[in-house]
Amino acid sequence: MRSKQVVAAIGWRTPSVRHWLQHNQDKMSANMARQAMPTGAMQAFVRKETERILAACTKCGKCFEACPMTRYSPKLAGADPKAVATGVLGLLNGGEGSPEALAWASVCVRSGSCVPACQDNVDPKMMVRIARMIASGGLGGTKKIPVRDDRDYYDRVRAFAKLQLTEDEIKNWM
Amino acid sequence: MTEKIIFWYGCNVLRHGDIIHGCLEILRLLGLDARPAGGPDYCCGNGKDGNQTAADGMARRTVTRFNSMERDRLVAWCPSCHAHMIEFMGEAYTPQFDLTYLVDVLYERRDRLAALLKHPVPMRVLVHKHLGFNDKVAVNERIPALLRLIPGLEVVDDDYAAPGYMCALLSAVPAAMEDMVRETVRRIAARRADAVVTIYHQCYRELVGLEPHAGIKAFNYIQLLAQSIGLQYEDEYKAWKKAGASAGTLIGEKRVEQVGVQFFERALLPELMKRPPGLGDE
Repeated sequence: MRSKQVVAAIGWRTPSVRHWLQHNQDKMSANMARQAMPTGAMQAFVRKETERILAACTKCGKCFEACPMTRYSPKLAGADPKAVATGVLGLLNGGEGSPEALAWASVCVRSGSCVPACQDNVDPKMMVRIARMIASGGLGGTKKIPVRDDRDYYDRVRAFAKLQLTEDEIKNWM
Repeated sequence: MTEKIIFWYGCNVLRHGDIIHGCLEILRLLGLDARPAGGPDYCCGNGKDGNQTAADGMARRTVTRFNSMERDRLVAWCPSCHAHMIEFMGEAYTPQFDLTYLVDVLYERRDRLAALLKHPVPMRVLVHKHLGFNDKVAVNERIPALLRLIPGLEVVDDDYAAPGYMCALLSAVPAAMEDMVRETVRRIAARRADAVVTIYHQCYRELVGLEPHAGIKAFNYIQLLAQSIGLQYEDEYKAWKKAGASAGTLIGEKRVEQVGVQFFERALLPELMKRPPGLGDE
């Protein structure tokens, strides 16, 4: 019996039953809908964006010049902006990436100051984000930069939820 | 007809039950039927740069679950979730909902919100801003505008915006985090502000430690809106930060046992004891 039929059969009698059914109905509907959506769309989108960026970027280095984070990496002191941009594109193109390109990807915190600095509509924030994914081994290949691995991340979130929400809220909202 | 929305609060704001409850009550008072959804089962996957297979699965699952809820729109609290939905999730999969950031919802309804803000909050505040995310939602202009609706509250003009889009990623670049804290403290003193107000939960988590460690009051903007409306939600996280090493006693034995004593001591307590970086030694 579908959850919608269950709900119809017993009615929305109590808030807790209603919430439980609503919650599980969504999960079941989501499971059915998920079967219709193929996996891997994120990676496909990232590949498409990579090709777009590689075709659009003129390696002018204006994005690097606009970045407020470059001073936080000693490897970037005095770096040539055009060379750094070229190194980032090399990484996107399957290469090893220059030490400067990896350093820039490591300190990017998505300020977005690079975006209006770009005259070629590259979206350098996306460019460095993809470089970071690649350098982190996120798209396969070896890790080239340190990746923070917080093994307690989700358990910590759940623990704080237990301290801050009621059991019903956890059941129905999470 | 009441608009039905999903209030997507995210993951890390679960440290701040008062913020989640405050948002929900404000949305209700503004005439919205808000269904809360968040936590790891609704994670956007933004933090999974190093594992795009996992990020893909999370994006697919979360978009699918929201689609199945058949609500008019998704209202996001977390800037990471909001930006990741726009930049990646929504590009890769097919959302069947409109997406709005909470600040825009409040700003759209600011006349109605203003009528709810009856209790004065006499305070001179500095809004903690970031360079990023403002291209998606004009939070750096809209949050001060919303705060100025509160009777008795004064927002000081200040042009400092920290790098990044919120404080979360700065923790990976410790020197940048230290600079942000030092500059924030300096600006608060220079502007003679009584308090710092954060836009995001993650910044609040970093700056709330200024209360016990530097004597500077810190709030999230939702807490001040709630206070002016007359909503009474206790900011337990702040109380725990103030308690520091004694936070476990304040939380209580029974609640600590619910999350596991060892886990509490290993994974939660260090965060509650943490002093904002850049303040120097005590």
